[in-house]
Amino acid sequence: MGLIAFLLQAAGPAAVAAPFAYITNQGSHDVSVIDLAALRVVATTAVGTSPAGVVAAGARGEVYVANAAAHTVTVIDMLTQQPRGSFAAGQGAVGLDASADGRRLFVADWFGQRLRVYDTAGRAEIAQVPLGRAPAGVAALPDGSAAWVAERDEDRVALVDVATQAVLARVGVGTHPFALLLDAPRQRLYVLNVESDDLSVIDTARRRVIATRPTGRAPYGAALADGGRLLYVTNQHADTVSVFDAQTLALRTTLEGFGYPEGIAAHGERVYVVNWMDDSVSVLDAASGRRLADIPVGRNPRGFGAFIAAPLISPTP
Amino acid sequence: MRRRTLSLFPLAAGALVVATAVTLATFAPSVAAHGPTRQKAVETIAIDAPAAKVWSLIASYAALKDWHPAVVDSPADKGNEVGSVRLVKIKGGGELVEVLESYDAAQMKYSYRAKNGGALPVTNYTLTIRVTGDASKSQVEWRGAFYRGFPNNDPPPDQNDEAAVRAVTGVYQSGLANLKKLAEGR
Repeated sequence: MGLIAFLLQAAGPAAVAAPFAYITNQGSHDVSVIDLAALRVVATTAVGTSPAGVVAAGARGEVYVANAAAHTVTVIDMLTQQPRGSFAAGQGAVGLDASADGRRLFVADWFGQRLRVYDTAGRAEIAQVPLGRAPAGVAALPDGSAAWVAERDEDRVALVDVATQAVLARVGVGTHPFALLLDAPRQRLYVLNVESDDLSVIDTARRRVIATRPTGRAPYGAALADGGRLLYVTNQHADTVSVFDAQTLALRTTLEGFGYPEGIAAHGERVYVVNWMDDSVSVLDAASGRRLADIPVGRNPRGFGAFIAAPLISPTP
Repeated sequence: MRRRTLSLFPLAAGALVVATAVTLATFAPSVAAHGPTRQKAVETIAIDAPAAKVWSLIASYAALKDWHPAVVDSPADKGNEVGSVRLVKIKGGGELVEVLESYDAAQMKYSYRAKNGGALPVTNYTLTIRVTGDASKSQVEWRGAFYRGFPNNDPPPDQNDEAAVRAVTGVYQSGLANLKKLAEGR
């Protein structure tokens, strides 16, 4: 089931606009909004200082941006591409994720060493759970009941429950896990270990590592593409993208010619790779990996998170 | 803290500090409320010489002293093998210790990492140098990613983001300008 179909089913009758990609530009303190139908930047939205983390919550028609140096999260309206304001979020928001309905926002607080959970309608914190050192990437369960968080400097991930505000499980992974990606249909969590140059695959039901696969140097982001058949991983220091068979975890190919690739997201038949060094986003054909276009964005783009969504236009908010 | 000045990196003059007090881990925070964010410098130069000739000038990891005007010595303990450690001695004092992380002769490029910033006001510094071109013209790109030398908020002017970018840019510009001169035989 595609994202749009899922959103329609989840929210009832509604219209759907074209999808957008929201690229956080840490060096220019703004977000480049790319219309994925036109493959061009249609807005550049000023946010707080040094944005990196992002999640586009299409079901709510809002994008949340973590301003790493401003202690805040900025909310962008997906219909106008303008900021709707911002709210305080700990001592250094890094990774963000949201529940499928967009009602819950999960924020990894790097210096506060905790996961913070917000009700997006009221912008109110509803839970906070202390964690180990350097909480980085977040992967929320679709129902928003819990989330996985990378505790980077502890070389492990934690599963955090919202209702009990407790850590349900911890799983040791490779060295310096940063980005996470949940594969709900396969009951897997992919963990990218920046310093050990590999990928840990966790069985989310049994809560243990079932496979470890080498990547390129400094894996920094992952996306499932081509209907979930392929797993794309950006290798920041190798300037490459590894493409795995998502089912067998066999390496299919390694794509070259990127510039410090970091964030990555897929939508439909395409994959979008954020090139931090080149200030651009590469558009790839998901099935073949072929490069279709490069789109200039702002300075030092990160795109750390699920940066693509189509706004759901609902008659009632 | 020891302070050194590198007169041959004019843009960085006075800003070159060996911050021995800086104890950042190999990977500084990628984003930080109370600290720096990653910066970059990218410099390219067009050279009127075959790419193979330009590559031959820089292909040896230890050859930096032969083409960078600010470097007096640059021995590399394992040549062009990944893991080779190069000790870069700067004219007028100061050093950088750099570890080769990848080497690709076919694509005429290599990447390396500096152990801290050494003589530059940066930390967590990774670099790539690459030659592209054909039998008559070439282009060299030298680029790096790094954090400023000062790990906390409110850095002094000689250790802020701008100082870091200026210093690294100065190193690249002076090196590439001399490489062009050598390759073009002028």
